[in-house]
Amino acid sequence: MKKAILYLNQFFGQVGGEDIADYAPEIREGLVGPALELNKQLAGEAEVTHTIICGDNFMGSNQEEAINTILGFLEGKEFDIFFAGPAFRAGRYGSACGNICKAVKEKFNVPVITSMNDENPGVEMFKKEMYIFEGGASAAAMRKDVKAMAYFGKKILLGEELLSAKEEGYYPRGERHQIWLNPPVAASDRAVDMLINKLTGKNYITELPIPKSDLVPIAPAIKDLRKATIAFATTGGIVPVGNPDRIQSASATKWGKYDISETSDLVQGEYMTIHAGFDPAAANADSDVIVPLDALRAYEKEGKIGKIHQYFYSTVGTGTTQGEAARMGKEIAAELLSAGVDAVIMTST
Amino acid sequence: MKLEFGNFYVKDVQFGSETKYENGTLTINKEEALAVVREDEHITKADLVIAKPGDNTRIVPVKEAIEPRHRVGGGTIFPGVTEELMQAGNGTTHCLKGCSVLVVGQHWGGFQDGLIDMSGEGAKYTYFSQLQNICLVADTDEEFEKREQQKKNHALRWAGMRLAEYLGKAVADLQPEEVERFELDPVTKRAPEVQALPSVVYVMQLQSQMEESGYNDLVYGWDTNHMVPTFMHPNELMDGAIISGSFMPCSSKWSTYDMQNNPTMKRLYQEHGKTINFLGVILSNLNVALEQKQRSAMFVAQIAKSLGADGAIVAEEGYGNPDADFIACIVELEKAGVKTVGLTNECTGRDGGSQPLVALDELANAIVSCGNVSELIELPPMETVIGELQALARDGLSGGWDNDPILGPSVREDGSIIMENNAMFCGDRVLGWSTKTMVEY
Repeated sequence: MKKAILYLNQFFGQVGGEDIADYAPEIREGLVGPALELNKQLAGEAEVTHTIICGDNFMGSNQEEAINTILGFLEGKEFDIFFAGPAFRAGRYGSACGNICKAVKEKFNVPVITSMNDENPGVEMFKKEMYIFEGGASAAAMRKDVKAMAYFGKKILLGEELLSAKEEGYYPRGERHQIWLNPPVAASDRAVDMLINKLTGKNYITELPIPKSDLVPIAPAIKDLRKATIAFATTGGIVPVGNPDRIQSASATKWGKYDISETSDLVQGEYMTIHAGFDPAAANADSDVIVPLDALRAYEKEGKIGKIHQYFYSTVGTGTTQGEAARMGKEIAAELLSAGVDAVIMTST
Repeated sequence: MKLEFGNFYVKDVQFGSETKYENGTLTINKEEALAVVREDEHITKADLVIAKPGDNTRIVPVKEAIEPRHRVGGGTIFPGVTEELMQAGNGTTHCLKGCSVLVVGQHWGGFQDGLIDMSGEGAKYTYFSQLQNICLVADTDEEFEKREQQKKNHALRWAGMRLAEYLGKAVADLQPEEVERFELDPVTKRAPEVQALPSVVYVMQLQSQMEESGYNDLVYGWDTNHMVPTFMHPNELMDGAIISGSFMPCSSKWSTYDMQNNPTMKRLYQEHGKTINFLGVILSNLNVALEQKQRSAMFVAQIAKSLGADGAIVAEEGYGNPDADFIACIVELEKAGVKTVGLTNECTGRDGGSQPLVALDELANAIVSCGNVSELIELPPMETVIGELQALARDGLSGGWDNDPILGPSVREDGSIIMENNAMFCGDRVLGWSTKTMVEY
């Protein structure tokens, strides 16, 4: 039989109400409060072996201590899945469920499941990182919410196919994947039907809801370029010939940095592009067209800029996902910051 | 313009002493067919292999798919491409349905080439697993691009077109089993009850990203990079006026077969006179420079508005950079008051967490989505490989790799493979066949 552990706050852990919200974490063998219902719903596939109880205020004001204590409780315990809540509309409880689920998932790499009402601020804070089921507003929904968590938990434990957020009832985690429609409906029919509905004022549902823009504000201008250290970064795939870091020509997951402190011109035969998404002829003949080192060296000599950073940074943009691009960008930015670089010329193709 | 497709349903393909079509069976005289392939001296090696639905067969690197056809009354099936220019879309064309000529590299693949499994789990990823495929497996002396990741594949693709034309001759003088008619009156000369329906244009954004000629889709032989959007009759486009190029990651690509059989165009024809007034097609492109993108979007919106379009469907052949054209075109149409539906695929990454399109706009509020180019696909070995399996890993196919620190190489020793959907031959079927959609987890 698989084993599950449940996290509850002081109220649902039947320790007390708001007056003892400072209650320090505790682990009990066996079932407390909602654990009874969870255990019943999991019947046949898993049993709830322990219940963890922690005051909402304790988790809120001593988060690190609370989490470390609970992770300590779990150390050495056998469990296959971790549940928290349901937290309904209780904000502090929702946040606590999210925080502990996140920590348990990171440390023990087990599936974590919680449940919150859509007005619980914990949903926005944690929905991308875990399965949060859409729960009721109050404890009146306890049985229903626990059942939903247990049903999905069983599916995970049995290795069954997990369906989309909408079909299963958890908040979308921002992961879009392809599926085959059942029954199959051709895209041509979907498009023409959608258009006819749109033209005649009928309802239709777009298959690609436009997410909110994730805009980065423009950085303030450099006050004195003559003192600034400038770096180059590019998604144009410029590398020393031979591609020493074996950066992929498409769908890149790697970036490289190349020392140009002794170089003033990216000449043919020494530098090239490995980018597969554009005509490489011009870039291979003269890589400065993508990383304009020759021009910036001239500025450096003329004193228009302070100096050029020792390295330039390169990866390939074609087919590269936004997620990978953001990760690589953060890694490169950290290097640039620690090297005291003031500005970056970022070139794409 | 009035076009008739005389259809012959091919249920079996075999080799024999004479190229002929009889009772659903296409028989091919291999030597005669290969002589047509070898008319181009750049073809150094060539063979024909038949792949049928259900075969335990993997085909890679696939470069192109073409439906064999014959233009009744003379003239080429690809005007301005294989032979001289003539008007397409009028008259009668005989079509061998249910089969395709697949152009397969004997060794060398490239960024734009794809993979087809004829049975098993992999078969669902491409349309072509359900067809009788006549695979032209060949090599060329095009040394300049042999080891280039991007290949024009000129000799092979043109050989495929000649072969399709040659096979089409088998039904030149036969009575079709079925006739499909496509006719639209001139835009201003339609019956009042048709004019009263919402007017709709179909915008096709053809792949045109390469500056150098030889890679892009062609319209009557003209490089689509060098055109501005123009109004065309759907009949022309189904009747050989456009051919596929050799550039885009393969699942996003539209093969010539797809263009010949465009399902969205056929559905719009079905609705014409019933629920909509199908005005015709605005043919556009996907050039890379921002000004060219803006110019094309502007031209499309102007043509649509001047024609009196109330609605539009915009389909994009590609992803990444062309997403900017796709969104720009939808935005310009919506701003011009043309209610628009977009048809595209997405690139959300292997984990599904990335932004679906490079460009987004809230005006793009009606989109049909046909798949995720970067979905990871793992498939068992197949008994037979047509072409060369190693091409998937070695030659930079957009969904393959020679080594990955975690996943290992795309092609494993036992012949099983791991790849991105990107390398599925014309897998996302944005011209309308796709029964895939995208959902959030």
